[in-house]
Amino acid sequence: MSKITGTTKVITGNHAVSYGALLSRVQVISAYPITPQTQIVEELSEFVADGVLPARFINVESEHSAMSACIGASAAGARAFTATSSQGLALMHEMLHWAAGSRLPIVLANVNRAMAPPWNIWTDQTDSLSQRDTGWLQVYCESNQEVLDSVIFSFKISEQVLLPSMLVLDAFVLSHTYEPVEIYPQQRVDEFLPPYDPKFTLRPSEEGTMGGLSAPDTYFEFRYKIQQAMEKAIALLPKEGELFGEILGRRYGLVEEFLLEDADTVLVTSGALTSTAKFAVHRLRQEKKKKVGVLKMRYFRPFPFETVRKILKGRKRVAVLDRNLSFGHGGIWSSEIKSALYPLKDRPPVYGYVLGLGGRDVTPKDILEIISDAEHRDELDMPEIIWKGVKK
Amino acid sequence: MEKTSLNHRVDTFTWKEIDELENVYPGHLACQGCGASLAMRLVLKALGSNTVMTVPACCSTLIVGTFPYHSLKVPMFHTAFETAAITAAGIKAGLSVRGYPDTTVLAWGGDGGTFDIGFAALSGAAERNEDIIYVCYDNEAYMNTGIQRSSATPWGAWTTTTPERHPEDKPKKDIVGILAAHRVPYVATATLAYPQDLTRKVKKAKDLKGFRFIHLLAPCPPGWRMESELTILSSRLAVETRIFPLYEVENGKRYTLNYAPKGRPITDYLSTQGRFKHLTPEQIHYIQQCVDENWAEVMEKHRLTHRTTEGIPASGYQ
Amino acid sequence: MNTGKSKVIRYKGAHDLPDLAFSTGTTLAGKTSGWRNLRPVLMEKSGPCIGACPANVPIPHYITALRQGNMDEAVRIILTRNPFPSITGRVCPHYCEVGCNRKRLDEAVSIRAIERFMGDYALEKKGAPPGKETGKTVGIVGSGPAGLTAAYYLRKLGHTVVVYERSQIPGGVLREGIPAYRLPPMIVDKEIESLKRMGILFQLGVEVGNGRHPVDALMKQHNAVFFAIGAHQEQEMKIPGEDLFISGLRFLEEVAHGRREPPGERVAVIGGGNVAMDVARTLLRLGATPTILYRRTEKEMPALQEELKRAREDGIEFLFLTTPVSAEKVYNWIVLKMVKMQLGEKDKSGRPRPVPVPGSEYELHFDAVIKAVGEYPDTSIFPSEALNEKGWLIVNKNTGATPVRGLFAGGDLVDGPSTVVEAIAWGRKSAFAIDAFFRGETVAGEEKLPKTVPYKAINFDYFLQTPGHKQLEIPVAKRIHTYLQEEVGGLTFQEVLAEASRCFSCGHCNACGNCWLFCPDAAIDWTDNAPLINYDFCKGCGICAVECPRSVITLVEEVPGRAGGKDV
Repeated sequence: MSKITGTTKVITGNHAVSYGALLSRVQVISAYPITPQTQIVEELSEFVADGVLPARFINVESEHSAMSACIGASAAGARAFTATSSQGLALMHEMLHWAAGSRLPIVLANVNRAMAPPWNIWTDQTDSLSQRDTGWLQVYCESNQEVLDSVIFSFKISEQVLLPSMLVLDAFVLSHTYEPVEIYPQQRVDEFLPPYDPKFTLRPSEEGTMGGLSAPDTYFEFRYKIQQAMEKAIALLPKEGELFGEILGRRYGLVEEFLLEDADTVLVTSGALTSTAKFAVHRLRQEKKKKVGVLKMRYFRPFPFETVRKILKGRKRVAVLDRNLSFGHGGIWSSEIKSALYPLKDRPPVYGYVLGLGGRDVTPKDILEIISDAEHRDELDMPEIIWKGVKK
Repeated sequence: MEKTSLNHRVDTFTWKEIDELENVYPGHLACQGCGASLAMRLVLKALGSNTVMTVPACCSTLIVGTFPYHSLKVPMFHTAFETAAITAAGIKAGLSVRGYPDTTVLAWGGDGGTFDIGFAALSGAAERNEDIIYVCYDNEAYMNTGIQRSSATPWGAWTTTTPERHPEDKPKKDIVGILAAHRVPYVATATLAYPQDLTRKVKKAKDLKGFRFIHLLAPCPPGWRMESELTILSSRLAVETRIFPLYEVENGKRYTLNYAPKGRPITDYLSTQGRFKHLTPEQIHYIQQCVDENWAEVMEKHRLTHRTTEGIPASGYQ
Repeated sequence: MNTGKSKVIRYKGAHDLPDLAFSTGTTLAGKTSGWRNLRPVLMEKSGPCIGACPANVPIPHYITALRQGNMDEAVRIILTRNPFPSITGRVCPHYCEVGCNRKRLDEAVSIRAIERFMGDYALEKKGAPPGKETGKTVGIVGSGPAGLTAAYYLRKLGHTVVVYERSQIPGGVLREGIPAYRLPPMIVDKEIESLKRMGILFQLGVEVGNGRHPVDALMKQHNAVFFAIGAHQEQEMKIPGEDLFISGLRFLEEVAHGRREPPGERVAVIGGGNVAMDVARTLLRLGATPTILYRRTEKEMPALQEELKRAREDGIEFLFLTTPVSAEKVYNWIVLKMVKMQLGEKDKSGRPRPVPVPGSEYELHFDAVIKAVGEYPDTSIFPSEALNEKGWLIVNKNTGATPVRGLFAGGDLVDGPSTVVEAIAWGRKSAFAIDAFFRGETVAGEEKLPKTVPYKAINFDYFLQTPGHKQLEIPVAKRIHTYLQEEVGGLTFQEVLAEASRCFSCGHCNACGNCWLFCPDAAIDWTDNAPLINYDFCKGCGICAVECPRSVITLVEEVPGRAGGKDV
C-alpha cells in the first residue's frame, strides 16, 4: 500500500472528502449510495475494510437511516460522518433537524446536485440551500483541497459549538475532477483536531435522557441556544481558520476576498463557480483594467453578516451568482446578501443572477457578460431575478 | 426441546426469575393500567443496567419522562418516529468504538413505529443483522395520537379511523413472520401476563448477538376501551384464546411454540374490550376461524422444527 | 425499592439550561397520587378454612411460613391456636377442608396431613417454660384436650398450672377414648411430656368431687379452676336387660389400658356415633366379629363420614333400622329381642324419628353387647348455683366462666360429646379468659375474624389443577388385624411442601409478588419480603387487586379531597 497521508495526491473531490474523513479519524460512517456522492463512501469503505481507518461502517438502506445512524453514533459519543447528495439530502431533512436539535457535531459532505424531477445529476445548490433552517453549519468549497480541509475544519468547529456541519462541493466539477491535494501528515491533523470529548452523551449505567419533550417554557430557550451556538461559530471560525493555517498551512476565513481592495464591482460567488469568476475577473483586470473583484462566500450558515457588510459597504455594485433558485423568490445567495446589506446607509445595488441550474455550464464569457450587464444597469434596476442563460 | 416454565408461580416469592432491580422510576406519565409502561419495566429488569435505549415517537416518548425529568435508570435517546432500529444501530456502533462493546442497545418502539413508519429502517437493521434488541410493544393502534389504526390493528377492531360502521377490515400484519424471513438470530412473541416467559426471552435475546426482535403484546386500556385493571387479564386471554401465541423463531427457521393452552373461545378475549363490542356473531365466527388457522400454522411450524408437537408445555400457570 | 433524586428542577432561562434537552431529574419529582379514584389496600381476609375450624387456626398463615421454608414460624403460628397439631393432625374431622376454595378447582388441600407433619415436627421442640411466673395458680380438672389446652396456654402466660386426672394415665379421651390405631399413645405421651417440660404439674389418680377432693377445697387451693372432665355418662336405653351391656367408653378405656381380649366372638355394638365406630373397629382388631345395630339408616348416623367409611372398608356388618327392645342372657349368649324400625316425622335434631314397625320383632344372638348410644356430662359434683334447671352447667360460651367466681368449664363437659378440636378451642378461650380474670378484666369474646374470601374472589388463572397428595394407609386386609399400628401414615416432607403449595392462601398475603410485578407504575415496593404500596405514585389502576390471586388487595374509593398520598 502506498503512503496514504503526508503526501500530495491527484484525486477527485469525492476522494478529497474521503481523505478528509480519514484524517479526521471518524469513528462511525453510515451512508447510502447516490450519484455523484458514491465514490466518497466507496473510498471510505476501502479504508475501513483495509483497517486504515478503525471505524464502523454502516451500509444503510436509505439516507434517512444514514443520518439516523450518525445521530445514534454521535449521541453515543462517537465522531460520525456521512455523505449524500440531492434527493438523499432531502430525504434526510427530518433528521437534519434532529441532529442539530440534539446538538450533535456530525459532519456531512453534500455533493450539490439538482433536485428531481426531471431527473438530473448535475451540479445545483438548491438541495443544500433548501436545508437552510435545519440548524446546520454550511460551508461551500471551491477546490478539492478546500474540500479536504473543510472536513477536518468542520469537525473542529462543530465539536466546539455542538452543531452539525455540512460541507458542500459541486457535482462533477469538483466531485469527479482530479486535482492535486495535499493529504497532511496525520499527526499534524491530530494537532489541530483533538479527539471528540462529548459534553452530553449516552454513558452506559448513567441516567440521563436526550431530547425529552420540552414544553413552551423551555423549548424557546433551546432554540435561542442554537442561535447562540451559531453566533459562537461566527466568532470562532476566523480564529480556527488562522490556527488551521498555522498548523496545516492554509488559512481560511468566513469568506475569501479576491482582488477586492479597489474593486467597485464585486461578484459574489460560492462553490466551484468561484474559480470561473476569479479567472474572468483576473482577465478583465488585466485586459480592460476594470476594478472588479470576487467575494467568495464560504459559510452560508452561520451567515457572516458583519464580514459581508464590511466588504461590500461603499462598493458601486454587487452581482450575486446563484446556481440555485427559491421558486417564487429568487436566487438564494442574492436575497441573503440583500438582507445583510439592508441596515447599511450607503448600500450598493445588488443584482441577482440565476444561472447554471442543473449543471448548465457557466463559462468565463458568461461571467464577463454578467459584469457588463451589471455595469450598465440603473442603480434601481434590480429585478428579483436576472436570468442568465435561460432559453426563454 | 427446551423446557419452558411459564408463569410457574403462586408460591411464595415466586418471581425468582425476575430481577428485583428496577430500571423505571414511578411518577411517569403513562395512563392507568398502561401495558406499555409495565412492558418497559419488565424488559429493563431483564436487560439490566448496562443498557442504552432509544425510543421513537410513541406513547413511551412521554412515559420515559418529559424534560427535565426521566423515568428511566438507563440512558435513553429520543429519536424520530421511523428510526428506532437504525438509531439503535448507530448507538451500538458509537458505543463499540467508545469502548462499551458489551452494552445492550435496545430499540423500543410501538406498533406504528415498527409495523408501519419504521418498517424500512427495521427491515434494514434486521437484514444487516445489527447487534441490537428491538422490542415492539404492540398496543395495536396509534394510541399516543388517539387510537388510529395501524397495520397491527386486528381485524374487526374499532379505532378512531376505523369507526364501528366500518371497522378494521384487514388482518394484522404478521410482523414475526416478516422478521423471521430476514433470518435474524432471534424473534419471539411475549406478553405481560407471562412475565417469566417474557423475561426468559429477553434474557435469551440479551445473550445472543445480532438482530433480536421481541413482539410484545401490551394492552392499552383506553385504546382497547376497557377498564384499567384488565390489562393483565386481557394479555392472558390473548394467549389462552390463542389469538396471540407465545413462540420464538431462531435463525428464521427454528420455530418453537412455548405454550400450548387448551384454548378458549375468542369471545372470552374480545368481550374484555369495548373495541370489539360492535362485532356480529358472524364476524366473531370469522375471527375464530382466523385464530384457528393461525394456530394450526404455528403448530405446523413447530412440528416441522421439532418433528412433533408433543411436549409443548400445556400450562401457563404454576 | 425505588430511590433517586426527586428534586423539582426549575430553570430561569437559557443561561442555566443545558445545551440540549438532557433530562437529569427523575419522575419521582412529580407525584401521581392525584390520578387515583380507587385505592388498593392490603386487606387481610379469612380463608374459609379458618372460619370453619373451631379453633380458628390461621391455616394459610402457617402454610405460607412453611412454603417460605420457615418451619419454626409455621409451628409457632399453629401453636397460637392449637397446642396439639400432632393430635388434631390425626383425629380432627378437618372441618377446614370442607370449605376449602380449592375444591372449586380440584380437591381440598389436605390441611390435616400438613398439620400432622407440622405437629410431629413440633413434638420435640415444644416445652419451653414461660419466661416469667405470675404467681397465680390454676387447677385444671381433666386432662383431655380441653384441659391440656387450657394448661398449655395458662402456663405460657406464666401461671402455675396443676392438672388433676382421675386416671393413672393422663390424656383423657386422647389416651383412653381414641383407639391406638387412630392416635398412637406415644404421640399423646410426648405431648404430655412437653407440657411437663413447661412446668405443668400432673396429679394423677385424683378424682375431683369425691370425698377426698371436694370441689370447694380445690377452689380454695387455686386462684381459678377449669373443669374439663368431658362427657362420660352413658345414655340409658331403658330396656330390660340393659345391665348386660358393656359400656362402649369403658371398653375403649380398658383396651387402652392393655386389655387385648374381646368380650366375645360375636359382639353387637348398639349405636351409630363415633364411639360405636371406634368400638366396632377395635373389636374387629381384637379378633371379634362386631355387628353395628342402628335404629335409623346410614344417612342419619351421627358418626363422622370418614369413620363410617373406614368401618365399611373394614367389612363391619351394619344392621340399620333396627333396635333391641330387650336383652336376656341365655347360656353364654345374650339374646337381643329386636324390632325393625321405619323413619317417621322429623324430630328436634332434624333427623327423621325412628318408629317401630308393628309385628316386626325378631331375635339376634351375640356373645356380648356393647352399648354406645351417646354420652352426657356428669355435673353432680358442681354447686347448684352453677347449674341450670336441666342440670347442665351454666357457662359463658366465650369465656368458660360459670356463675361461680373462679370456676370455669369447657369442652364436652359443656357441649356434650364433641370433637378434639372443639375441646381445644374451649381450652384456649378459657385460658385467656382466666388470664383476663386474674387481671380483673373480662373477655368479651373471641375477636371477630375478617371477611371470608369466597371462591369467586380467587383468581383461578394462577392455579393449575393438581391432585392432592394422599397419605399412605395400611391395606385393609392387614389393618383389621392390628390394634396398635397406626393405620394412616404421614406425608413426606416433600409431599407436605407440594401439598402446601396447593394452598391458595385465601385472604392471606403469602408474598407471591404479583402486585409488585404487575404494577405498571412501579408503585409497589418490595420490602421485607412483603408488598408496600407507594401511595405517592399509585394511580389506582386496580391491576394489583385483580391479579392478587388470593383477594388480599381490595380497591376502596379514594376519599374525595384526601388524595395525594395521604393514608385514608
